[in-house]
Amino acid sequence: MSPDILEDAMELWFGPQHVSAHGWATKLTLVGDYVVECDPNAGYFHRSAEKVLEYKNFRQGALILERMCMLEAFLAEYPYVAAVEKIAEIEVPERAKVMRTIMMEMSRLHSIQFWWGQFNAELGFFTMALWPWVDREYSLDAFEELTGSRHTVSYSTPGGVKYDFTEKSMKQLNRALDRFEDRLPKFRDMQMGSPTFRARTENIGLYDVKQGLKWGLSGPPMKACGIPMDLRKDDPDPNLAYDMVDWEVPITENPEHPGQSDALDRMEQRFAEAETACEIIKQLIPQIPEGPIIDPKARGKANRLPEGEAYARVEGTRGITTLWLKTQDKAQTAYRAKIRGPCIASYYALKDLVPGSKFADFIVIFGSLDPYPGWWDR
Amino acid sequence: MLQFDFFAWLAGIPEWIYGIIQWIYGIVSFIFYWVYDLFRWIWATIFLPSNFMFLFRAIIFPGLIFVVMALIWAVWFTRKLWGRIQDRRGPVHLGKYGGLQLFADAIKLIAKETIIPDNARRWMFRFLPGLLLVVVLLPFAFIPWDLEYWFIADLSVSLVLVFAFLTAVPVISLLAGWVSGSKYSLIGGFRAANNQFAAEIPLIISTIGPALLAGSLSLMGIAAAQSSIWFAVLLPINLATFLVAAIASVGIFPFDAPVADSEIIFGWRTEFTGIHFTLTYFAEFAEQMLYSALIVTLFLGGPIGPLTGPLAGPVNFVLKFLITFFFFVLVSSSFQRLRQDQIVHYCWKYLLPLALLNIILIMLAIVYIPGIAALLPLGGG
Repeated sequence: MSPDILEDAMELWFGPQHVSAHGWATKLTLVGDYVVECDPNAGYFHRSAEKVLEYKNFRQGALILERMCMLEAFLAEYPYVAAVEKIAEIEVPERAKVMRTIMMEMSRLHSIQFWWGQFNAELGFFTMALWPWVDREYSLDAFEELTGSRHTVSYSTPGGVKYDFTEKSMKQLNRALDRFEDRLPKFRDMQMGSPTFRARTENIGLYDVKQGLKWGLSGPPMKACGIPMDLRKDDPDPNLAYDMVDWEVPITENPEHPGQSDALDRMEQRFAEAETACEIIKQLIPQIPEGPIIDPKARGKANRLPEGEAYARVEGTRGITTLWLKTQDKAQTAYRAKIRGPCIASYYALKDLVPGSKFADFIVIFGSLDPYPGWWDR
Repeated sequence: MLQFDFFAWLAGIPEWIYGIIQWIYGIVSFIFYWVYDLFRWIWATIFLPSNFMFLFRAIIFPGLIFVVMALIWAVWFTRKLWGRIQDRRGPVHLGKYGGLQLFADAIKLIAKETIIPDNARRWMFRFLPGLLLVVVLLPFAFIPWDLEYWFIADLSVSLVLVFAFLTAVPVISLLAGWVSGSKYSLIGGFRAANNQFAAEIPLIISTIGPALLAGSLSLMGIAAAQSSIWFAVLLPINLATFLVAAIASVGIFPFDAPVADSEIIFGWRTEFTGIHFTLTYFAEFAEQMLYSALIVTLFLGGPIGPLTGPLAGPVNFVLKFLITFFFFVLVSSSFQRLRQDQIVHYCWKYLLPLALLNIILIMLAIVYIPGIAALLPLGGG
C-alpha cells in the first residue's frame, strides 16, 4: 500500500449506530469501493458478565450466561452448569442427559434459523429473510411450551433440567422439526440456485484452514473448510447423550477450492448443521429413558461448592464456547469466572480477512462468520 | 414679469378639479378593467367548456389528483403484496385491509420533527426532496391514458422529454447525498448516480424499438401505432430489458445498492426525516409507477386493449398498468441485492446487447417476413 493511495482514503465507522451493527463498531478505511484497512473494535456491548457472575449463586449464574447469546441460549448456559457439576461432583440422571441433548440441538437449530434470515436480510433479500423466521416461530413455540420462555429458556440447572417434557411440548417439538425438515430442502434449492445469491457469496471472504487456525476459529467456519473438528465427537461430554446417536460430523468440501471456505460454503455448512441437529433430535426422541429429570441432592450440593476449579466447553452454533470457573471453599458464589466465546476469534479475523474486498462485501463476510457481539464483549 | 393674477387662478380651479377627477377616473377605470379582464380571463380559462375540461383532465382525472391517489394505492399495494409474498399479512389495522395505513403513516411522518444535520447545506437539504417529487410527477402529463379525450398533453417529442426529466433524478439523488453532510449519504448518492449510469443506456436503447416501429417520438403516436399489434409481440426482449433497466434505474431490489440498508444505512436518504423522507419515499413509488405506465405505453398497446366501448381507453390502460406494477413488485421481492459493480456489469454486458439484438431482429423480420410491415404504420407489405 503506497502512501499516495491512502491520501484519498476515507475513514468510515461501521457502527455502533449502524442499522446492521447491533452493538459493535468497526473502523473501515476505504479507497474507492475497496476496503484497505479494517479495525474491529470491541467494547460497545460490554455488560460485565464475568463480574456479575461473582455475585450470583450457582443456580442463578446460568441465567447470566444465556444472556451472552440469546439465540443459542441453552448452548450458552450449558458450560456454566457443567462446570458447577464438575466442582460439586453432581451426577446427572440419564433422562436429563437426553433431554439436555435434545434442547441443545433445538437451540442450535433455532440459532441457525435466525442466522439464515439475518444473513439474507444483510444481503438485501427480505423475502428469504422472513421465510426461515416463520419456521423459527415454531421452534420458539416449542421452547415456550416446554420452558415458558421463548428466548432465554433457563432450562438447565445443576443436576439436571428444570421441566419435564409433556405430551403437548413433545407435540410442539415434533411440529417444529417436521415443518423445518419439510421446508429446508425447498429453501435450500431456492437459496443455492439463486444466481444473485451466488454472485454475492462465491469467493467472498475466502480463507484456508491454516489462516482459520491462526485466528482461532472453530465450529462452522472451520468445518466449512472441510475439517471435521467437532467437540461433540472429539471430546464427548459424559453428561450429554451424543453417544446414543449415530451421526457424522457435517463438513462442507468445495471442489473448486479444497481446504478453503467462502461465504457460500459457510451457508452450506450451516444447512448441514441444521440437518444434523434435526437428525440427532429425531433419533433421540424415541430413546428418552424413564426416570427423574434432576438429581434430588443436586440442589443442596449446588448451594455451597467446595474449593476447586473447572473448565467446561461445548460445541456451540458459532464455535467452541468455554468457561473456566474457580470457587473457594463453602462459597456461595464463584471466585472468578472466565468466559471465552467463539465469536471473538471470528470478529477479529475480519482484520485480516476484509482488506482487499469491496465495501459492499464487508457485511457479507461479517454475516457469513456469524459473530454475535455478546460473545466478545461479555 | 411674474405677477400673481388672482382671477386667472380662480378661473383655473374648475379645470384643476376636472383634472383630478379625470385622474381618479383613470385609476378607477384601470382597476375596473383590470379586474374585469381578470374575471374574463378566469372565465375563459376555467369555465369555458373546452378549457374547463382541460383543467379537469390536468388536475383531476388523468392528472395530479388521480396520480397522487394512484401513488397512495401503489404504496399500499406494494406493502400488502410484499407482506403476502413474505408470509405475513401486511397492513391490516387501519381501514379495510389496512387501506388507510398510509394516511396514518403520512400524518405521523409529517408531524415528526424535521432534523437537519449540522453539516448539511440547509436550503438545498430542504429544497431537493420536493424538487425530486415534482420532477418525477411531471412526466405523467405525457402519458396517453386515452387516445381521444382523456389525456393531458401530446408532444411530438414526449418520449425524449420524459427521459430528459428522469435524467434529473439521479442528479438530485447525488446532490441530496452530497448536501446531507454524511459519509453514508455521499456513498449512496454516488451509487445512485452510478445506477443510472448503468441502467439508462439499455433503458433508452430499449425504447428505440417502439419509436422506430411507430415512426414517432411521441408517446401518443407510439400508443396509436399499436392498433393492429402490440409491440410486446414484436419486441419481447426489449420489453424484458426495459423492465429490468427500469427497476435498476429506480433503484429498488435487486438493484437497491443506493439505499442498501445493511451497508450504508439508507444511502442518500439517510439524513432525511419527517416530511423530507416522505417526499423521497413517494418519489420512489412515483418513479416505479411512471416506468410501469411507460411500459404499458411502449409495449402493451397503451389504451388500445382488450376492452372496447365508452371509457375503454383509460380502463384498458389502468388494467394493464396494474399488471405491470404487480410485476415490478414481484421482481423486486424475489432477488438478492447486487453489488454496485455487478449492476454495471449486468446492465452493460447483458441488457445493452440484448436490447440492440431485438431491434436488429425486428428489422430483419420486417424485411424478410411478409405481412409484418402491413401491421405497422410504415405500411407496405
